[in-house]
Amino acid sequence: MLASTLTMAEPRASLTLGLAQIDCRLGDVEANLERHLAWIAKARERKVDLLIFPELSLTGYRLLHLTSRVALPPGAPALERLAQAARPMSVLVGFVEASERGVLHNSAVLLSGGAPVHIHRKLYLPTYGIFQEERFFRAGKRLDLASFPWGKAGVLICEDLWHPELARRLAVAGAKLLIVTSAGPGRIGPGVDPVSHESWEMLTRATALLDTCWVAYCNRVGWEEGSFYPGGSHVVRPGGEVLAQAPFLDENLLVATIDLRESDRLRWRLPLLEDERNDIEGPVQ
Amino acid sequence: MKGGTKADQNAGRVLDLLTLNGGLAVAVLTRFIRDAVETSGTAGVVVGLSGGVDSSLSAALAARALGPERVHAFLLPYRTSSPESAADARVVAEHLGIPHRVIDISPMIDAYFAIETGADAGRRGNKMARERMTILFDQAKRLNALVLGTSNKTEILLGYSTVFGDNASSLNPLGDLYKHQVWQLARHLGLPSEVVSKAPSADLWPGQTDEDELGFSYALADEILCLLFDFGLSPADVVEQGYDERVVTRIVRLEQQFRYKRRLMLIARLSGSAINLDQEIPRD
Repeated sequence: MLASTLTMAEPRASLTLGLAQIDCRLGDVEANLERHLAWIAKARERKVDLLIFPELSLTGYRLLHLTSRVALPPGAPALERLAQAARPMSVLVGFVEASERGVLHNSAVLLSGGAPVHIHRKLYLPTYGIFQEERFFRAGKRLDLASFPWGKAGVLICEDLWHPELARRLAVAGAKLLIVTSAGPGRIGPGVDPVSHESWEMLTRATALLDTCWVAYCNRVGWEEGSFYPGGSHVVRPGGEVLAQAPFLDENLLVATIDLRESDRLRWRLPLLEDERNDIEGPVQ
Repeated sequence: MKGGTKADQNAGRVLDLLTLNGGLAVAVLTRFIRDAVETSGTAGVVVGLSGGVDSSLSAALAARALGPERVHAFLLPYRTSSPESAADARVVAEHLGIPHRVIDISPMIDAYFAIETGADAGRRGNKMARERMTILFDQAKRLNALVLGTSNKTEILLGYSTVFGDNASSLNPLGDLYKHQVWQLARHLGLPSEVVSKAPSADLWPGQTDEDELGFSYALADEILCLLFDFGLSPADVVEQGYDERVVTRIVRLEQQFRYKRRLMLIARLSGSAINLDQEIPRD
């Protein structure tokens, strides 16, 4: 009796993540689609449940005036093909989304059970330094949880993680896994790791600690217009310990099995989300 | 600069800030070369070897990236070029195990200046740089290769180059490296010491050195450029740090004066589809 109650109460909480740290052909959806299919096949061999591709994986990142030429509606045949090919796996794919309202978004779509089930439109579009996203995209306006058979997760794209209230809101709403896709350009300095990676790791680990959740960060590799993407994709445990990390600079499929209950167990000991207050008064909002 | 100034205390410290992890820099730059060659569908690179540290480092990175047999070096001396330069270039090519060939540019240069008399050393030097460029691009066509650039960040920022001459290339692994960093990586890769330690020279005339011609040392230029561009100090802030105002002013002026050399195809925009402005189409 007790045993059967336990079995019913416990959804499957353990899943195998695949982080596809790939290079992309800039502006060539056909070529990138073929690459995605190849990585899906590799992930299938590794028994991946959820395969994550980087930001704008289907198009490449630094599109500038190519942006409109590679835009797709969420129901486009290319995405349909990926959704079907991936089954029974779930895949998160980055693409230029042409919305019904006639605007372009830097989006990530979760394809599951052969169909799109969740779309995240990048909320913060960096337009400084080498970044020019606001020239070519409109920012998203909604933050939603994605539901998986294993529980709830949040999807953020690159710059979104640099505005920590988003990750916090997703965690408070019930996300035990935060997926961050990225096309974060690399810089180097005196250290063995790219300087740019040090910032990313600080952010992902701080997020996993403060929001007491898993963080999966998938960055791409390769070159666009003389700027490189260093990879260094990684998975961080609730609390901030790096569980697994892909090497820098080269394509890689990082596979890690995670248990979402680890997030619950940490929250019992470290109830930061439960303690979150929104009743503090004062001029500082 | 007088002794004991803030600039003297800074000296070395600023250069230290430019230190790169050699292994990581080489890993990144070799992938840059490999990616550019693969994306373009070509078979390798051609590079003009002068015997100086810049072209030696470019060639060394390419040899690591592609294998020495896919790096084609050309020594392109004029009859007044220093024989030591050619000897050093040969040492580098042999050290790297890359195929190399000598093409004497004297007949082409002399033929032109036989009908165009009275040209000064600057015009003659520029003509030679452009003659070398046409040969490299012709050889690149013959070998189905890309022309590998050898200009560093310091000389690009100072405009110390010949437009469509030594600054012409299909890809340039050194363009974001200050001269100090070029020397650092050259030592990291164990390039022959005679190449790394000699005074930089464009070999425009016998005995010429870059630092004499520029009027300041590369070390000083690197420090000032780093403070201006990497740390965002104003020229007045840099002078405040104790650097010689005349040198700072001259470096700022050179950077402004030669911006046109860094953006070569200036198109008059008439439509709403002007290339590079309305159609900023990236290169993969």
